[in-house]
Order: sequence, then structure tokens, then C-alpha cells
Amino acid sequence: MIDEQMAVFIGSGLRLAVPIIFAATGEMLSERAGVLNLSLDGMMLVAAFAAALTSWATGSPLAGVAVAVLIATSVAMVQAFLSVTLRANQLVVGIGFNILALGATTFMYREIFGPLSRDPIPGFAQLNLPWLTSIPVIGPALSHQTGLAYVSILMVVVTWLLLKYTSFGLAVRAVGEDPRAADKAGINVSRTRYLGVLYAGALAGLGGAFMSVADSNTFTENMTKGAGYLAITAVIFGGWNPWYTLGACLLFGFATALQFLVPALQLDVPVAVLLLLPYLLALIAIAGFVGKSRQPAALTLPFERGG
Amino acid sequence: MSMSKLVLAMKRPKSMFGAPGAGFNLVPLQVLVPVLSTLIALGIGLLIIASTGGSVSEAIAAFWDGMAGSDYNIGASLNRAITLGLVGLGFIFANRANLTNVGGEGQIAMGGMFATAVALHGAGNLPFGLAFIVSMAAGATAGALWGALAGYLKAKRGTNEVISTLLLSFIALPLVYWSVESFHLLRKPISDLSSLPESPEIPDTTKLPLLFPDNGSPLHIGLLLAIVAVVVIWLVLKHSTLGLRLRAVGLNETASRRAGLRTSFYIILAMAVSGGLGGLGGAIMILGQQFYLTSDFSSGYGFDGLVVGLLSRGSAVGVVIGALLFGFLRSGSINMEITAHIPSAVVLICQGLIVIIIAGSAILTNRKSNR
Repeated sequence: MIDEQMAVFIGSGLRLAVPIIFAATGEMLSERAGVLNLSLDGMMLVAAFAAALTSWATGSPLAGVAVAVLIATSVAMVQAFLSVTLRANQLVVGIGFNILALGATTFMYREIFGPLSRDPIPGFAQLNLPWLTSIPVIGPALSHQTGLAYVSILMVVVTWLLLKYTSFGLAVRAVGEDPRAADKAGINVSRTRYLGVLYAGALAGLGGAFMSVADSNTFTENMTKGAGYLAITAVIFGGWNPWYTLGACLLFGFATALQFLVPALQLDVPVAVLLLLPYLLALIAIAGFVGKSRQPAALTLPFERGG
Repeated sequence: MSMSKLVLAMKRPKSMFGAPGAGFNLVPLQVLVPVLSTLIALGIGLLIIASTGGSVSEAIAAFWDGMAGSDYNIGASLNRAITLGLVGLGFIFANRANLTNVGGEGQIAMGGMFATAVALHGAGNLPFGLAFIVSMAAGATAGALWGALAGYLKAKRGTNEVISTLLLSFIALPLVYWSVESFHLLRKPISDLSSLPESPEIPDTTKLPLLFPDNGSPLHIGLLLAIVAVVVIWLVLKHSTLGLRLRAVGLNETASRRAGLRTSFYIILAMAVSGGLGGLGGAIMILGQQFYLTSDFSSGYGFDGLVVGLLSRGSAVGVVIGALLFGFLRSGSINMEITAHIPSAVVLICQGLIVIIIAGSAILTNRKSNR
């Protein structure tokens, strides 16, 4: 009985961590290049809606994911134009995008699906690999996941390799630390930062799509519920390192999953405490009570050539 | 070194939207940008309504009716503007120290919750006048502490206040939910009439007196309080040493510390005042018009107040205009949703666009001021 609940807990913890892993991994790369996307939550929300709508219209969740990535990357393009080219305040622009995304998705959802629609949309099936399921406790938790969940871990590896072993990764780190020196060394600062933001957008798109077509098979208004902010906090908590960031995302996922475990174990903990726990953990984490690390030196600072 | 010299010695301010007051040839642009972006956003909003096949004239009629169709609606719109104005004032106050308080929603929520708690448990028996004043003060204090927490983390731990105030909002909202959901906290006992998770109605003595009790308008004395707050914040920011010091801390923390300012104190103070104004706004919502606490009473007010603050470009007068604009817009959009069936989310779209356009056009003002 306890085993079964633990399996459900681990499974839902992983499931809830996946969108944050996607978004945080992309955001980590963008921040290493010096651009903070507070609009992450909006990108995820727009992607979740785009995936749901496309999957509902075409019957193909895969098409949903593709469109979601495309849409989120377009939003990122505008964000990059504002943050990099127009050198607008990255935090303010991000907040603006989040308000816009919430308004636009809520409006379109009500117009297209009608209020309070709960029709399931076509989503991905779980893997359910027999050999994996046979492992006690962890087996079912790992196996009752969609393929997209595993893509998130793959993206962590890809991002780590990209940052550490490619010339693009070197450029990203250079423009995030000292854009002027990078510029003098012949690196195109704007182009590198654009690519960083687009990368964050594409991954936020995957994360948002996961929410609607892999996790819940439905769209609800404001369904990200601040997951994008958690992703940004995970990056800070993870000290801008892909693996530590992954750990922070898993922590937030499991903290959220306690909402299901605690009632099942019939523990008398107020629901509100469970609801606020991930955010409280995030706050404690970024307040530096658990060790401090240095952020990229040029984070949120616009760069102007010859200025 | 005197404070004014310190400020002059520092680089030209690089505030959120460029240099404020960089010269008079800029004044038209400073006004033009918010006005134009608001008009563009509203135009897009109308286009969206038209594109859904809804009747634009019907929508506008419903919108107008909701904003100002009756004494009641005008009063309700103004009451909404009071809270938005207070949150907006809080935003510009913190922003003077170069701090961006985006946690208005949480500060409103904490203010409303504590005002309700004090009104229900004790303040009701105080003599008339004191009853609502004490309840309001409780709300403002709760908001101030919530804001000061972010200020403390910023000053002592270097935690970015944008992220911390956002997270504090996500923490405050479940707390309010908890308080109205637990019988041993603020939830009213289940009766035959109602079992909703909400607090009982606050005692009459803790309700804010109405300004025009005879014509059915819900407009209350919070309006006078808000006007006082506007004048006080304007005076402090424009004509006081405190305003100058906040500015100095915001422009260059290290230089200010070397000049002998206790920078941590000013950072915490700025966030406390900012959060306190938000908490007062939340308290006024409950004590002035709603009279009982619900878990989502603050919903949307944080964003609205933030946009008001952003639009104002640091000017208290700008806050007044923005608060009135969004107070009336929000009332209109709610009526539009009810009678013309057009989702009020269209107003969110307009707000998002306004913020993005204004932030994006900052380069215009920045560039001019650099020459």
C-alpha cells in the first residue's frame, strides 16, 4: 500500500518537474548569455494553449508540440528584439509578456473552447515498458511517463554538452560574462544573445506543450500557475549549472507532488501549506540560505557596441 | 558631502524608462509614449472584439454602462481606482530607490486578510472611527511586513526583489485561502444559507463610512485617504531629504554607503512603505466595499496596480491618471463580460501590450537624454 503510494508520489513528482526542467534548462543557457526571460511563464502558457489547440484540431499531439515550440520561439523572438536590440528592461518586458499571454490564452480559450470546457484533447500515451515497470516502486514511476518526459532529461544533457564543449557554448559564456571583451574577440554579441533567448523559448515551448498534451490532456486557464517563475528560481538555485538546476527542478516537482501524497497518507497538513511549499522552498533557495553562487556578470545588462 | 552634491556627482539616472526629467524637450515624449501606447492597446482590444464577431457597439455600450452608467457604477469604479492608486504609489515609491516591487498582489492579499482578522476579532468593539482605523492599520502593517521581507532579503542577502516579491505573492495567496477555509481561522460557520469558504461579514463599525450615503454610491472615505497618500508620496519623493536619499541609494548603493547612508535601512524602508500601501489598498477593499474575505478577492489587482505604477513613470500624478483609467476599464470590462459576453481577458491583453510597448520605447527617451 505504502509502496503503491510512493510509486504514485515519485511518478507525479517527476511528471510535475518535467515542464520546469524544460523551461529552466533553456533559461539557464539564455541567462548564461546575459538575458533573463521573466516571460518564461507566458511562453509556457502560450505553448500549452497552442499545443492543446493544435492537438485538438488535428488529432496529433506531436503536431501540437511542433506548433507549441514554433509559437513559443516566436514569442522569444519578440522578447529578444526588445531585450537585445531595443535594450528594454528585461524584467518589465517579461512581466508585460506574462500579462499578455494570460489575457490572450484566456480569451482564446473562452472563445474557442467555451467557458469551463473539460473535454480531453488527444495526448501522448505513457511508455509502460514491461521490463521497466517490473522494478519495484521506481519502475512504475519511471515507466508511467510519456516519451516527452525523457526528452527533458535529454535536453539537459544536450544543453550541458552545448555549453561545455562547443564554440557556441563558449560564445554564450563569454557574452554573459563580459560582452565588451567578447565583442573585441570577434564574437557577435547580439546574435549569440538572440540564439540564447530563442533556445529558452523553444524549450519553454516543449515544457508548456508537455503540460497540456502529455500531462493533463486538457488546457485550463492560467494552467502554468507560475511554473515559469519556479523555473527561473531553479536556475538561480542551481547556480547556473545544468545538473544542479535539474536537481532544483526535481525538488520543486516533488514539493508540488506532496499535495497528492499527504492526503493519501491521511496526514493532517493544511492544503494551503502544501500549495505554498514549492514557492517557499524557492524563496529560501534564492535567499541564499543554502549556499551562494555567482550569477553571470552581465545578466540583464544590455550591450551597446562602441558605447 | 551633502546629499544633493552626491546625487549630482553620480551618473545620470538610468531608471526603468530612461532618464526622468532630462530636459524639457523630452516632456512631450514622456507624456506621449504612455498616452499613445494606451491608445494603440485599446485600439487592438477593439479589433479583437470585432474579430470575434461580437458587436463592437454593443460591447462599448456595455463597457460604458459598467464604467459610469449609474451612481453605483461610478462609485464602484472609483473604489477600484483607490486600491490601484495605492498599489501604484507603492510601486513608484520603491522604484525611486531603483527597486521593482511586483508583489502587489501578495501585499494586497496580506492587507485584506489581516484587516479582516482584526475587524472580526476585537476592533469591532472599539468606539466608532477607531474601529475601522485600527483595522486599516492592521492591513497596512501586514502589507508593510510582507514588503519589508523582500527588502530585507535584498539588502542583506542580495536577493533580486523582482523574484522574491513574485514568490511572496505565490505564498500569500494560499495563506488567504487557508484563512477562509479553516473554521478555527476566519471561515464563517456553515449555516442553512451558506457554506462557502469565506469569512463572516465584518462588524458595521469597522466598515468605512460612505461619502454619499444618500444616492446609493458605494464610494467611501478611502478616496480621501488615497488623495492624502498621493500628496504625501508626491511631497516625499519630490521635496524631501528622504526622497533624495532613496534616489541616491537607487542610483549608486556603494557611493551612498561611502557617503554615510545606511543603505540597507533605506532599501528595507522603501519596500516596507511600498508593501504597506499595497496592504492598505487590500484592507480598503474589504473594509470599504466587500465586507467579508474571500480567497480570490485580490485577483488581478496586483497586475493592474503594477501596470498603473509602470505607466506613471514615477510621477504621483501619473499614478492618479493610471488608477482612474484602470479602475474604470476594469469595471467596464466586467460588465462587458456579463452583458455582452466578451471575455474580460481582453483588458489583460491591452495591459500586457501597454507594458511591452512602453518598455520597448524606452530606447527613444534613453537615446535623446544621452545627447
